Amino acid sequence: MSDNNTQQQGKAVQTTGHAWDGDLQEFNNPLPRWWIWTFYATIIFSLGYWIIYPTWPYANTFTKGVGNTITFQNSAGEEVTTHWNTRSLLIEDMQTGEEALKQKAYLEKVNAASYEEILSDPDMMAFANSMAKVVFADNCAACHGPGGDLPEQAFGLYPNVADDAWLWGGTTTEIEQTITHGRNGFMPAFGKSLNDEKLEQLANYVLGLSGHSVETDKAAAGQKIFQGQEGGCYYCHGTDGTGLKSQGAANLTDAVWTVANVPGAVKEEGKVAAVKSVIKNGITRQMPQWKSRLGVEQIKLLTLYVHELGGGE
Amino acid sequence: MAHEAVAADSQYNYDIIKRFAVMALVWGILGMFAGTYIAAELAFPFLNFDTPAITFGRLRPVHTTLVIFGFGGSALFATSYYVVQRTCQTPLSSNMLAGFTFWGWQASVLLGVLGYVNGYTQGREYAEFVWPIDLLITVTWVAYFYVYVTTLMRRSQPHIYVANWFYMSFILATAILHIVNNLAVPVSMFSLQSYSAFSGVQDAMTQWWYGHNAVGFFLTAAFLGMMYYFVPKQAGRPVYSYRLSIVHFWALAFLYMWVGAHHLHWTALPDWTSSLAATFSILLLMPSWGGMINGIMTLSGAWDKLRTDPIMLFLITSLAFYGMSTFEGPMMSLKSVNALSHYTDWTIGHVHSGTLGWVAMISFGSFYHMIPRLWDTRLWSKKLVYTHFWLATIGIVLYITAMWISGIGQGLMLRAFDDYGNLAYTFIESVSFMHVPLVTRMLGGIFFVAGILIMAFNVFMTIRTAKREQVEIEAKIAAKMAKVGA
Repeated sequence: MSDNNTQQQGKAVQTTGHAWDGDLQEFNNPLPRWWIWTFYATIIFSLGYWIIYPTWPYANTFTKGVGNTITFQNSAGEEVTTHWNTRSLLIEDMQTGEEALKQKAYLEKVNAASYEEILSDPDMMAFANSMAKVVFADNCAACHGPGGDLPEQAFGLYPNVADDAWLWGGTTTEIEQTITHGRNGFMPAFGKSLNDEKLEQLANYVLGLSGHSVETDKAAAGQKIFQGQEGGCYYCHGTDGTGLKSQGAANLTDAVWTVANVPGAVKEEGKVAAVKSVIKNGITRQMPQWKSRLGVEQIKLLTLYVHELGGGE
Repeated sequence: MAHEAVAADSQYNYDIIKRFAVMALVWGILGMFAGTYIAAELAFPFLNFDTPAITFGRLRPVHTTLVIFGFGGSALFATSYYVVQRTCQTPLSSNMLAGFTFWGWQASVLLGVLGYVNGYTQGREYAEFVWPIDLLITVTWVAYFYVYVTTLMRRSQPHIYVANWFYMSFILATAILHIVNNLAVPVSMFSLQSYSAFSGVQDAMTQWWYGHNAVGFFLTAAFLGMMYYFVPKQAGRPVYSYRLSIVHFWALAFLYMWVGAHHLHWTALPDWTSSLAATFSILLLMPSWGGMINGIMTLSGAWDKLRTDPIMLFLITSLAFYGMSTFEGPMMSLKSVNALSHYTDWTIGHVHSGTLGWVAMISFGSFYHMIPRLWDTRLWSKKLVYTHFWLATIGIVLYITAMWISGIGQGLMLRAFDDYGNLAYTFIESVSFMHVPLVTRMLGGIFFVAGILIMAFNVFMTIRTAKREQVEIEAKIAAKMAKVGA
């Protein structure tokens, strides 16, 4: 078989003279010109690359690249020039890149200004909103929703920060405190100290505070528990039910619900049941502190963003 | 000569090839279905139904393992055993060991994926098998190596046909890659978990040296072996250039080993390593294209076959996709392009233009050629081959374009700045943007799965017809014998 030397279809090119599996043969065409030249071009490209960039290892170091350096400031403020490398490239870009410089100019301005000054300056506020939007979405949105307005399935777990009800206070100082140090939201469970009838009365009273139609006799009994020593609710929520921000106690008169799913209930009994369940089981929830994850400027900008998001105080 | 080949036919071990071919289709259907399902999960996350076993994290290695090792691996075992026997004109050196490679390989794939859905993984991409399975694979692979080499040594031809060089390099390189990347110390004799022998950036480097050469030798060199046999066979024409095959074979084998680090640009990996990998990737472009040229030019002078032969359509289209993805790859390995493309769907699209376009399409074409010959019959339906071809091609085009849009779009969004020098988009905005491309990608997957289902039906009917024909012939012979006897 190997001596088979078939000429295929009158072509001038010869096969190698071998044949396998009956009819498998090979022409011996020369390498296509364009193929060789393109291959040479890739070699020339690579040679150029090897000269300019760090590439070949030798001994215990490597070629550093010719005429290709990066200059940046180190942490001590000294100017450093080094061979091209991706780490220094990033530092240089963060220090002298076009976008970085724009951002830096604004950040310095914002840093020097007080909250009031920034709030009254549309240009600085536009910057704050542009930067904090991304910081919020990448850090806060997982719980509070991308726009600060709670995703439906998270109801009861996290407060809505896009409304104007503030559990821990809506001034810039209070919001900054909340983001920096986090918060522990706690309300004791009353399921053991109050029986079902009393829980029902309390729930009627609490719903009545925000203008819901309730059973008046039950609500009247509930008021006694709320304002008396039996429930002691007034310690935190106040005698009038308007809440106490230093404790994160909710204002019960504003018809804003973040734990009891009152808006989700269609009938009156459902609303009462929702409130009752919260009084019975209490609340334990936590917002983590962010001071170890976000910079001072970022927290400042976030504070402004959240303040504007929900109509801050 | 044709007479000789027919005479030898009966001595070849076709049984083992038939078994591997059938399993390739079984794993292919399951693996591609798994892939389409996780594509659907990415577009519609509720589809994981809060069930750990079917979440993306567990089904993803199931998908990759089934399609690469189950489908691709079985297709390579099948075709390599077919090619080595036919081009050496000798049966396999050991039917027993060949049988062992079948059971060893199928068991590895099956146990591997059962492990993944239950949470047992080594956590190395494309090498997720836990250590006991790694050992089983090693033993299986040594048997494969032995069978292949000893069969080659028994060849009746003085020269080794080019397809066999590629299969040999694949078997050898895969052995080295598998062993080195899986060097690990088990936590205990009875634990499925293990510690890698490497740490930190060396570990990452070893993993991607493995990862990229799995692409280079498993998904490229081996399938080039398939190409070098089935394209000229189906075309009925000699390979375009012997010289080109030698040059591109050695260039490919030498250059591939350097480029794995391009998966780790802009990381803790030293910059010189990264530069070397980028330039060797560029150098690899033309050697990769050598195979495409040799395949496509083999058809030169017989282009009309593309109008009449759907199998040829599969083979030539696969080479076109091969050429496209081996062009795209070196471009993406440049650091500046990689800064945009890495960690986006562009990478996923690139991989699938290679795996769907090249690996799967060349396998489909080769199977359509090989299966009727294994069962000594004709394909049940040529029309269905056309249908499969168009479904697969539309599927791939939908897939790749969707991933370009999704990947390049996300890459650009993540690096966009606004007038203040702040990031213009949040991460979640880039995810929302990807929804439509992700749905389109899922549709592409559905097309592709529909295609392989049609192929499986066609193959099933072909085998059934072959068996019926066999029975008829035997009955006729028996009748004749009875007549003669009477």
